[in-house]
Amino acid sequence: MQRKPIEIKISTVVAIAVILHDAQLSVLESALKELTAKSSDYYSEECAVIDVGNIDCANLEWPVLIDLFRANGFHPVAVRNAPENCEEQISALGLSIDLGSKNAAQLIESAAEPAPESGHAPVTAVLEQAPSATLIDAPTRGAMIIDTPVRGGQRIYARGTDLIITAVVNAGAEVIADGNIHIYAPLRGRALAGASGNTSARIFAMSLEAELVSIAGIYRTFENGYPKLAANTPLQIRLNGDKIDVFSIQSIN
Amino acid sequence: MARIIVVTSGKGGVGKTTSSASFATGLAMRGHKTAVIDFDVGLRNLDLIMGCERRVVYDLINVVSGEANLRQALIKDKHCENLFILPASQTRDKDALTEEGVERVLNELIHMDFEFIICDSPAGIEHGAIMALTFADEAIIVTNPEVSSVRDSDRILGIIQAKSRRALNGGEPVKEHLLVTRYSPKRVDAGEMLSYTDVQEILRIPLIGIIPESEEVLSASNQGNPAIHIKGSTVSMAYEDVVARFLGEELPLRFTDYEKPGLLKRIFGAK
Repeated sequence: MQRKPIEIKISTVVAIAVILHDAQLSVLESALKELTAKSSDYYSEECAVIDVGNIDCANLEWPVLIDLFRANGFHPVAVRNAPENCEEQISALGLSIDLGSKNAAQLIESAAEPAPESGHAPVTAVLEQAPSATLIDAPTRGAMIIDTPVRGGQRIYARGTDLIITAVVNAGAEVIADGNIHIYAPLRGRALAGASGNTSARIFAMSLEAELVSIAGIYRTFENGYPKLAANTPLQIRLNGDKIDVFSIQSIN
Repeated sequence: MARIIVVTSGKGGVGKTTSSASFATGLAMRGHKTAVIDFDVGLRNLDLIMGCERRVVYDLINVVSGEANLRQALIKDKHCENLFILPASQTRDKDALTEEGVERVLNELIHMDFEFIICDSPAGIEHGAIMALTFADEAIIVTNPEVSSVRDSDRILGIIQAKSRRALNGGEPVKEHLLVTRYSPKRVDAGEMLSYTDVQEILRIPLIGIIPESEEVLSASNQGNPAIHIKGSTVSMAYEDVVARFLGEELPLRFTDYEKPGLLKRIFGAK
């Protein structure tokens, strides 16, 4: 088989979101120094998306700002929520304009969790700039889809999104998502939805033979058997206060 | 084009070596030039089951480490013209089995015009098992109809998906076949054993055959005679079916139904 010299695929790159709450460069600089404990390799060239939605960009010196992050070990790849009149300046610095959060929020309401205050957050579709490739601005926080059985010992994590599995999840397997988990086959392993704290995340499956289910860190095992549900109906698992409920999907409608 | 087939299971004692020996023999009896390699370094068994243990001079590790060439180490089977055995080492450390070395041996076998190369994997998920499956084009997953064996098979399928060359290169995945061994229709009927459909429901890979439980296998193994040679036995017929299906024939499953003993037998308490 001959391989094409270039293959173009949509790919999700994990980046950290840096949300600015102050436009003053000196304030940012000292805050960064504190964050990185003065060691410039603290963030070890992690891709960063700089979110300026909360600050006034009118007098912002973009090159200085970007250099500041570079000096502190970040690898800025995009600016998010930038005002339109700054876009040209940002592009000139070799950074992308990311509309990610706005568009994603419109497209997938359920996935629109509040942006984390700081630290690591998922960013979808930040394509690294390749000179010859067209920049595809895929704005969706697309779910992760798995079409093969998830087998014992395997672990799948859908960071910042939903996880859809069209095959069986067997005993000893672990499937984790920050969003919801959909399994169009029996669930026999462990499923952990809302892994980063989303209490309204749910788990859906065609049949429940699970070892453990968890939503937002609250878990339930089935040592004493599974809840009695209408036979041969799909089911959903939800968090109700601090306990996990299992419903047959039919019985709700 | 040569095909490399790993026979693996995760769990020990389920019939990997018995199946490797019979499957390789079956392919050779149909005229295909076949090699079977024992990857169980430190615990060699394949040569015993093939009845060639007294002819072992050099082994896989000798070839991998360049102390012998492949032609010196390959043992010609006593029954089949087209069958060659590459035994494992009993004395050497399994870490001597390097990926580059295994790849070189397999490539050399392909150059020697072998059509099928059967890799008999050791139990477990350690180095030897990984080496056996790394270069596989196809995998025969040997499973007994009981829960722990099925679960270990599931685990090894996951490892094939993750660690085989085909998986790492992103090409066509390793083709998986399920072989259920030591199957007792009577015990399935009594609810003591999983049925083959139960096993398939969990593992979700195509079934290539069912080998019935039989006392003849043990005595054949002890005599160094692969089970497929026991003429007229259910086991040998079942292995012949497996080989035929592997080569693309469509055959119905045999030896899967339990016939209840008649009324008289039941009254007089026969087995």
